[in-house]
Amino acid sequence: MSKTKLTGLILGIVGFCIPLIIQFPGLSLPGHLAMSIFILAAVFWMFETIPIYSTSILVIFLEVVLLSAEGFINFSGMEYSPVPYQTFIATLADPIIILFLGGFVLADAAVKYNFDKNMTRILLKPFGQDPKYIILGLMAVTAVLSAFMSNTATTAMMITVVIPILAKTEMTDPARVSIALSIPFAANIGGVATPIGTPPNAVVIAALNQQGMNIEFGSWMLYAAPLAVGMLFFAWFLLLKLHPPATKVIPLDLKGKWTQSPKAYTLYVVFGLTVILWITESLHGIRSSIVALLPVAVLTLTNTFEKEDIRKLPWEVLWLIAGGISLGIAMKETGLADWLVGSIAWDQMSYLMLLAVFGIVALMLSNFLSNTVTASLMIPLGISLATSGIVGGPAGMMIIGLVIALSTSFAMVLPISTPPNAIAVSTGVVKTKDMIVAGTIIGVVAMGIIILMTRFYWHYIL
Amino acid sequence: MKPKIYILIVEDEPEVLDSIVRDITEFEEHFEVEMADTAEEAEEIINEITEGENLIGLILCDHVLPGKNGVELLIEMQQNEKTKPTKKVLITGQAGLEETVKAVNEADLKHYIAKPWKKSELVKITRNLLTDFVINQVKDPLPYMQILDMEKIADHLRTSGGMTDQ
Repeated sequence: MSKTKLTGLILGIVGFCIPLIIQFPGLSLPGHLAMSIFILAAVFWMFETIPIYSTSILVIFLEVVLLSAEGFINFSGMEYSPVPYQTFIATLADPIIILFLGGFVLADAAVKYNFDKNMTRILLKPFGQDPKYIILGLMAVTAVLSAFMSNTATTAMMITVVIPILAKTEMTDPARVSIALSIPFAANIGGVATPIGTPPNAVVIAALNQQGMNIEFGSWMLYAAPLAVGMLFFAWFLLLKLHPPATKVIPLDLKGKWTQSPKAYTLYVVFGLTVILWITESLHGIRSSIVALLPVAVLTLTNTFEKEDIRKLPWEVLWLIAGGISLGIAMKETGLADWLVGSIAWDQMSYLMLLAVFGIVALMLSNFLSNTVTASLMIPLGISLATSGIVGGPAGMMIIGLVIALSTSFAMVLPISTPPNAIAVSTGVVKTKDMIVAGTIIGVVAMGIIILMTRFYWHYIL
Repeated sequence: MKPKIYILIVEDEPEVLDSIVRDITEFEEHFEVEMADTAEEAEEIINEITEGENLIGLILCDHVLPGKNGVELLIEMQQNEKTKPTKKVLITGQAGLEETVKAVNEADLKHYIAKPWKKSELVKITRNLLTDFVINQVKDPLPYMQILDMEKIADHLRTSGGMTDQ
């Protein structure tokens, strides 16, 4: 075990014990227990003592054992009425998890039938041979795909598309750097655009759902996609400025053949139909998580998606999200979230300042931690702020949720910030230094725009 | 500690050994290169390497050696759980048809390189085989992307689901 992991293990266990020994005034016994779980989870997530999804599973386990009605602790005679243990384990079938499951099935099936690659070739064609527009094209395609598929898988796929392009450029041409950086950045940015784009969106949407707010697929896109589009163009300008291509022409060779078989056609139709139904939720009223069952059902019943494919789904990501949702439930149910929020003098800060604090902390944390973990740790506090009236009403709650979800996704400074960044640096084309410079500028600008959006955009449409 | 991946070269003629090592120097930054001039010495090295977590990714082996011959060594490695996944290559001018067939059938020989070889050919074969080895045997192939077949590793990441959003 490495030193970091060992430190995490010790800190986590010590941290877990603190609320069991020290009595915090104003916090109930279940609140203390929830705090123990919160500290343990935060430390394990930060130090990655165990894989982050195992920490999520541990959270659910501890909640069932310590905080549920069926658990080992007798709460009778106390104000706290423990929730049934189903509340904690049912997070694994939360509507947002089902939405992600549908997304995963679609994405994995797309990979299986090479739909992602062929789609990329077609979409890239109109962008010509000028390196400037090729980069824009690469970014646009990456962002669109990563809005519906995993950012990581999209990046890996785009790298395979880009390698032949890189092979045609001079080794000293800065275009190599701008191309290699454009892909992870576009993947990170594209992820914010839809609810299924990236896991932090799920954690935030689930927390908002629990407050009785239903967020339609299209509404989320209305809130977040403009930011994604704007930042995509900004990142494009920035990369061209920092690493202007020297060559004038990069001949693209985009030959590819659609996989033609009944199963592949089934996938094409189901993919298109699902996306259309998601985007048009407000017209037909069928919830996106119900629509998500369509690809799961149709692709499996037609054997387009088989047993081996089901086994290969990224189940650990669903556990990771479920643990995050479940931690939020425990913090809210036991009053811990309210207590934490109540212990800080928020009224010293203006509303905008408060949102900025949440955004900046989220941005900084998720440069080092998993984006999902960052969102999981911050959203219970954000929601409590909103319910306690400090940021005001349902719109305030939605805005703080958006600030947290979007800020985590714009953390792309280091190779460890996101898996797409790690892949890009591993190609050896990009130096970490280049990533830090461009990533920092993008993070700061995005933060600024997010704050402006709270005041001048979301404020009016919510 | 991340397990190290070794390339093992077995060749009894010093000049030939040198030229093989020289041809694949570009891999030295990411892989450890070990040399032996007899099958017996190779066995010792194999035991040392595989005692811990370390792996032998590739063996480039001459056939005619003093003592035990190359094909016998490769077959032995195929029967050893730890060196079964090792990609096995014969570099030789003198292996007869019968022995070559034996190497293919019993040692899962991946390539037969006839002496004299071209550097580009040796590098290409080394890259391909190490890429396959890394994809199948290593949990995190990212550190090897740069030196090996990048496109193949990226495509493996895309299809295997080994890396996911966090």
